[in-house]
Amino acid sequence: MQLKTEVLIVGGGATGVGIARDLSLRGIPSVLIEKGDVASGASGRNHGLLHSGGRYAVTDPEAARECISENRILRKIAPHCIEETDGLFISLPEDGLDFQDQFLRACKGAGIPTTILSRDEALDLEPALNSDLLSAVKVPDGAFDPFELILENARDAEHHGAKFLLHTEVTSIAVDKNMAKGVIAKDLIHGEEYSIHASYIINATGAWADQFLKFAGLRIGMALSKGSMLITNQRLNQRVINRCRPPSDGDIIVPSHTVSILGTTSVRSEEVENFDVSSPEITLLVKEASKLIPAVQESRFIRAYAGIRPLFQSEEKGDDRAISRGFVLIDHGIRDGLHNLITVTGGKWVTYRLMAEKTSDLVCQKMGINLTCSTHLKPLPGAGERMSVTERLKKIGQRVLKDYGEIICDCELVPREEVENFLKGEEVKDFQDILHRTRLAKGTCQGGFCVYRLLGVLHDLEVVKGDSNTILKGFLEERWRGVRPILWGSSVKEQELVESIYKGIFNL
Amino acid sequence: MHYDVIVIGMGLSGLMAARTAAEIGKKVLIIGKGAGSLCLFSNTIDVLAVLPKGIRFNDSLPQWAKDRPEHPYSKLGWEKIHRALSSFISLFPPPYSFQTTGIENGSILTGAGTFRPTYLIPMTMVAGTSLKEGDGLIIGFKGFKDFYAPYVASHLKCRGITLSLREAILQEITATALSRLFEKESFRETIGKEIKRHLNGETRVGLPAVLGIKDASRVKKGLEEIIGAEVFEIPTLPPSIPGMRILYRFKEWLIQRGVTFLLGHPVSKANLKGKSCEGVVVSHPPITNSYTADRYILCTGRFIGGGLAADKEKVFEPILNLPVFHPKLREDWFKNSFFNRHPIHEAGILTDPSFLPIDENGNLLLENVWVAGSILAHHHCFEEKSREGIEIATGYWAAKNAFQI
Repeated sequence: MQLKTEVLIVGGGATGVGIARDLSLRGIPSVLIEKGDVASGASGRNHGLLHSGGRYAVTDPEAARECISENRILRKIAPHCIEETDGLFISLPEDGLDFQDQFLRACKGAGIPTTILSRDEALDLEPALNSDLLSAVKVPDGAFDPFELILENARDAEHHGAKFLLHTEVTSIAVDKNMAKGVIAKDLIHGEEYSIHASYIINATGAWADQFLKFAGLRIGMALSKGSMLITNQRLNQRVINRCRPPSDGDIIVPSHTVSILGTTSVRSEEVENFDVSSPEITLLVKEASKLIPAVQESRFIRAYAGIRPLFQSEEKGDDRAISRGFVLIDHGIRDGLHNLITVTGGKWVTYRLMAEKTSDLVCQKMGINLTCSTHLKPLPGAGERMSVTERLKKIGQRVLKDYGEIICDCELVPREEVENFLKGEEVKDFQDILHRTRLAKGTCQGGFCVYRLLGVLHDLEVVKGDSNTILKGFLEERWRGVRPILWGSSVKEQELVESIYKGIFNL
Repeated sequence: MHYDVIVIGMGLSGLMAARTAAEIGKKVLIIGKGAGSLCLFSNTIDVLAVLPKGIRFNDSLPQWAKDRPEHPYSKLGWEKIHRALSSFISLFPPPYSFQTTGIENGSILTGAGTFRPTYLIPMTMVAGTSLKEGDGLIIGFKGFKDFYAPYVASHLKCRGITLSLREAILQEITATALSRLFEKESFRETIGKEIKRHLNGETRVGLPAVLGIKDASRVKKGLEEIIGAEVFEIPTLPPSIPGMRILYRFKEWLIQRGVTFLLGHPVSKANLKGKSCEGVVVSHPPITNSYTADRYILCTGRFIGGGLAADKEKVFEPILNLPVFHPKLREDWFKNSFFNRHPIHEAGILTDPSFLPIDENGNLLLENVWVAGSILAHHHCFEEKSREGIEIATGYWAAKNAFQI
């Protein structure tokens, strides 16, 4: 099939989808192509921390300023995707208070509001904290739902005319002298081939940026940094808990829905796709996080996962944490003489909108038109309409008391009706898409029961694509990557349960 | 109160040990915090499904056991396993009996549309073993979220239909609630007639394994008379109603024989003196009681049952603190693929041929405690499909050995 568009965006992460929304609001037609579902890469593999910028204030003031400015904008345009938790930076005896002074000065410089709390005030707010703490600083951190935020951007972009080709992979770029004329792509589900012509191509492939550029015979330096995270079975804290020291391993605990997420590590990775959380990383995360909240030591964990930070590497090398978390926008016309190709990579989730704005500005500049950005002014479609995370949590409690039909996930209380509505509404293509769009398989049993039920519902509605037991086995393998590193204590029982069902009863 | 034997654990191995001791007139106390895996996963009696096809266990098991000298079956041999199985079978006289489908395993249909090889099959499932592609009508129920007829049917190229229940409009219905409904004749009448209306030449009708807890054979027969086709059960997600039938039958028999049941609270501690167990402590808050016996049989299962537990460094046995054989490093407990045989499956308690616990060097640890069931080391019950077989055989023989008969 032949397609023609003004701007082709490659990559369905926060940046790519953000660009699609930005361009669509400016009235510029675009097609977004993504080989998986939206948020398949780092955009879906992070701790969902709405940075105040505090974490970068000392080491990377520019990234800190970007964070606080975007933090304020997101609270306005996407209140339903955000839980306004605030965050605390905790000073522990072993770290001392020296860094706190530096931290406070740097926050002031970056425009991040701070409040100093005494030990008792901090423990009053967060009773689970290590009671040896010296002092704490409150900053406007928050927690956001990465999937909901990216889907909201996608909905708005589609509403304004952007076209999305998900589960579609670029197989080559057609380069003619100094122009990239388009790409050849393949629909991975139906096998259809697309030839897409575009006036401009944007490489928003994140960690895959260098790989994608190889299609055009170009290279850029990327430092791929794996960050691992660990999910507890319970929510241990109400505010984001950070350690007040230079960024290091295991110094953040983010409350998220009903759980807490411990993060992160930073390990140089050569792989963009095949990476796992190692046992030493788990040990390190538990050890460090339990210094902030001692209950972490005895917590039950439900999953470990990792994402790849797409850090752009300038010439000088060093510690990955020292590489700027700011983003980079490359005009390949200036850099390589390929006039209509742009790469945008690096950056933070929280700055996705700013990255999209700057990229779209560059597109407009190249087109020679003067259309301004409005993504910071226009709320996303669900704002004021869709339930916020907090409201949703309250509603869940009430829901089960009423007759809401089958609850197919008992851990996260997902009604069958919710899955059926997704299948009726948006274009959901495969089983993974449903898992991305609901809380299914995200609770204590990690899909041990509900994934069989989900396949059952799909059979009831006659929408199963392929052999359901092959899908089931694939899911169990994917689940395994997340649970294998944390199998001790109660998790070992859970594992025996899942094996007893799928290897035992069902003989898969 | 002093007993001849205290059985710790109320899963299949514990029940079997209690039965064996009660049968020879011993005074038995059985203590369990629950019925373990029995009421969750057990439907049929798996014995072993990794032997060459078409050969009797008697002919192929000796060689298999010889290759695995540490396997619990190797302490027994087929003759003894068979005697234990016969004892189990005799507890279930017709009509609700357990049957074999020939000299080897039969294959039963499961809730994922797969077939599973197994040895002893309850009469309610037998008709599903010889199902031919296309000849079967699978029935599910709206609101029963643990079974999906079209899912099962799609793998068999037959029809699967989901019926609505007046009893479950706009709400869920559980396996136990459905089982109780099936015990009512009026319910069978309504559902049976509806199934008959949907029948289109099929000679067999498959339903989830919820055809009554008490009198499944009567439920099956009643439905067959109304529908005019053979009815069979299909095991699915936990809980297992057929497992509950096994528990109830054991309970009925054991109580008749004067066995004392203590259900709901686990043994929290054992008093050990040298190589002897002098008593066990059960705490039923706010009361704590001690019980004593001449002999003890430990049948506490694996991780779900609480027989084994793991922390970040090791696997341990929480009641008697017996040494647990297991791979030393946590990284080595599990392999890369979910579907691998994981080394931790082999973890468990080492015993001598009479099921007395020993350490790695073969030294006897306790002289009046026998160990039975899935807590034993050196089996892969998932891959071997041997869980119930090991439980029955070792439970039976641990009790026999304890009384030297």
